[in-house]
This record gives sequence, structure tokens and C-alpha cells, in this order.
Amino acid sequence: MWAKAFGAMLILSATILWGNMEIAKLRGRLRQLEEFRLALRLLAAEVGYTATPLPRALEQVACRMETEAVQSFFLSVTRRLQGAAAADAGTAWLETARCLQNRLQLTAKDWAVLSRAAAGLGGLGREDQLKQLSAAEAQLADHAAAAAAQAASGEKMWRYLGVLTGMAVVILLL
Amino acid sequence: MGERGWQKHIVPLLPPRIRTALAALPPEVARELEEIRLRAGQPLLLQTGRGEFFSGERGVAGSAAEALRLTAAELQQVLLAMTEFSLYARDEELKRGYLALPGGHRAGFAGRTVLEDGRVKLLRDINAVNIRIARQIKGAALQLLPHVYCRQKKRVYHTLLVSPPQAGKTTMLRDLARLLSDGDAREGRPGLKVGIVDERSEIAGCFRGEPQLDVGMRTDVLDGCPKAEGMMMLIRSMSPQVLVADELGRPEDVRAVEEAVTTGASVITTAHGENPAELIKRPGLAYLLENAFFERVVVLSRRHGPGTIEAVYAGEAVRKWWRTEDRSNVG
Repeated sequence: MWAKAFGAMLILSATILWGNMEIAKLRGRLRQLEEFRLALRLLAAEVGYTATPLPRALEQVACRMETEAVQSFFLSVTRRLQGAAAADAGTAWLETARCLQNRLQLTAKDWAVLSRAAAGLGGLGREDQLKQLSAAEAQLADHAAAAAAQAASGEKMWRYLGVLTGMAVVILLL
Repeated sequence: MGERGWQKHIVPLLPPRIRTALAALPPEVARELEEIRLRAGQPLLLQTGRGEFFSGERGVAGSAAEALRLTAAELQQVLLAMTEFSLYARDEELKRGYLALPGGHRAGFAGRTVLEDGRVKLLRDINAVNIRIARQIKGAALQLLPHVYCRQKKRVYHTLLVSPPQAGKTTMLRDLARLLSDGDAREGRPGLKVGIVDERSEIAGCFRGEPQLDVGMRTDVLDGCPKAEGMMMLIRSMSPQVLVADELGRPEDVRAVEEAVTTGASVITTAHGENPAELIKRPGLAYLLENAFFERVVVLSRRHGPGTIEAVYAGEAVRKWWRTEDRSNVG
């Protein structure tokens, strides 16, 4: 009897954990999208107000990021630009995106927006560069708004789904 | 600056093929290098005091056919490396067609211009890069100093240095600024407050606002600033005793010079040209010469190498030179 109860508890805990992990992914994506938005705004300020060159601007942006994975992204682009083999900033950005894709919770559509932000990065005049960063930030804002709505509805769903799936499995096994 | 200091500052900014080619240069060519000319689809050219050389993958090439040919993509890569992959950060300089580099060197660019309201907005599709190696020759102006500085009155004469391009005007101007700024206690020559308006970053070779070349311990440099505006700013804020600027000649420069004179500052400047007939084409400069503003005119040439002093006109001789180009009044 005790063994069955213990098994049921284990199954229930596992499915609740699974539900919570899915919730964490939804929240993580939203947080990372907001961090990237903030990063693009900070980068635009560095470009627009102080015309700081990209390696230093990206490093400063990285220092102000709270999420470790987003911070790593900007530091990695900086390191690539400081390396002897750097071709251009866009390439460094895209290579970093390829390497760090699995460490972030972003979707393919989010990455598409970030990849578009890389086109012409550092190769444009100040006004055009600002317009491009602003356009990417606006697109990320749309994605963030959608992610927030998805997180609000998804959280409840995953929480119930975790508990109910666990209970269903327990009932089936009993 | 070290004789081969350019290699430390410039080589890392170049694509790998060019880096290898320059590393293989004979020491005498590397030592005397004045310009590195990169053109899309054309051979890599090196200019030294002894003439022009083609550069191949393994040092100096015997002919254009053996020389390294560059691609437009490589030139674009050079531009990006020189701007730290940030064209927006240097777009004001690029609009004027050049970039200041670390070590006081400069790179000039040619390509397709993008215009806005009839003015250059951006330079793109770069097809040529000219890297000019800065060489500071300390002591270059020692010979000139007694003509420019009055020991009795302890003041500097308003001076114009005249020469054709690449005859050492800027080198001479820089060294004069350094000598006047540092002074010489043994000679009883006190140091003076010198203000340099370095519109094209050529005199002090500023990189990120910091002079890369020695322009003296009492020298304030206003980098990348239009001359007339810069002179007024320096007068108001730094109270210089000597104002140094390259290539005065626009009407607004004249007004700034006149303002400088009322504060007691002496002006040292340069002009491209060999004789008055060439200088008269610049209305501002012609006005200053016509009104006997300059107390000294120094004519330089490359006859015995850059910085050869051909003539120094003093006082009344300046007026005569301007009117008649009479060389018998050499000071």
C-alpha cells in the first residue's frame, strides 16, 4: 500500500515538475525577449548619443544584462569582433546566434528577428543604424507581447496539465 | 614614434594577404615607407622617399604583373577594421574622405558617394585606400625657430609656411608647435601655451581625441574641429599664446585670425602652393597677405628632401614677395 502511494507521489511529482518546466520556458522566453529589447535600446543609445564603436558598445550592453545567456550573447559577439579573424559585425552576430541558440528559450521566429538586426550592423551611417536597431526592437516588442499573452494562458494550462496528467497515469496504473 | 611603429598600428587592420606581403618587406623599404596604396583590382603600391614599389606576396615585386592585386571586398574589410566595424562611429570623418588611425597615421578613401541635399552623406563601395604613414621628425624645425621666435620680445611672429604638397609643411608645423610649447631653459626660451586646431587630425595625429604625436607639454589640441570655430573656442577657453592651424584660407578663417590677434595670440599656419600666383586663388589667405598680416613667410620644398627651407621672408620682404615674388630679400 505504502509502495503504491509512494509510486503515485513520484509520478505526480514528475508530471508537476514537467508542467513547471514548460512554464519556466514560457517565462524564460518572455524575459529573454525583454532583455534583448532592452539591449537593442541600449545599443541604439550607444550608437546615437556617444557613437561608441561596436566592440565597446556591445561590451557595455552585456554588462547591463541580467540574464546570463543574453549577457553571454553580447560578450561573445564582442570577443569575435576583437579577434584577428573578424570579417564584419553582422557575421560575428550570426555566428554567435548559431552557437548560443540552444542555450536560450527563443523560438525560430525570434531568432529570425535577431538575425535581421545583424544585417548591415556596423556597416551603416548613424541614422540608418538607429533606424535598423529601432525596427528590430519594435519587432521584438511584438514578439514579447505575444509571448506575454502566451505565458499568461499557458501557465495555467501547463500547471493543470502537469497535475492532471500525473493523476491520469496514477489512476491508469492503479 | 619608432621607425617601424606603423607596423604595430596599421598591419593588424589589414587583410591577411596584405599583412603577409608587408611583413616580407625589406627593412629599408619598411623604414622609409610613406604611403600604402590599395586599389580594387590594381597592384599593391608602396611609396617611399626613394620612389614607388610594387608589393608582391613575398616583399617587393619587380613588376605590376607580379604584384599582389586587391579585391573590393578586401578594401571594404580594411574600412571596417579601421572603423572597429562601426562606420557610424566615424561617419563625420568618412564624409571628409579620411580616417585618423592609431599612432597618428591616416587613411584616405575613395569610392561611391551618397549625397543628401547636395552634400556627401556617406562614402560606400570603397575602391581605393591610401594609408599615409605619420613620421614625426623631432628637431625638423630647429633651423626655422630663430626666424619665427623673437628672443628680445619673447614672442612668436605671425607665420605662414608655404610649399607644394608633401614638402614637409605639416611636419614643420608640428615641430614648431612642440619646440615653442616645450621651450628651452638652456637657451632662455620659455615654454608657451600653444593651441592647435587640427581639423583633419594631421598635426597632432589624434586618435580618439588623444594626440599620438608629440606636440609639446603646453599644447592643447582641438581635434576634428573646423578651423575658424576651433580658433575662437581655443581663444575663449584656453588662452593660447600661439595658435596653430593647417591650411587657413576661407573667409571665416580670416575673421577668426583677426579675433586671435586682438587677444595677443600669434598665428602659425600653412598653405599649399609655391608662389603668390597660386596663393592668390584663396581669397582669405590673399586678404591676410595683402594686409601684411604675416610677419614671416617660409617657403619649403623637397629639393634636399621634405622640409627643405627655400626662403624665409621677413617684415617688408613679405609684402615685396607677395607683390613681386622678389627672392633677393631672403631673411
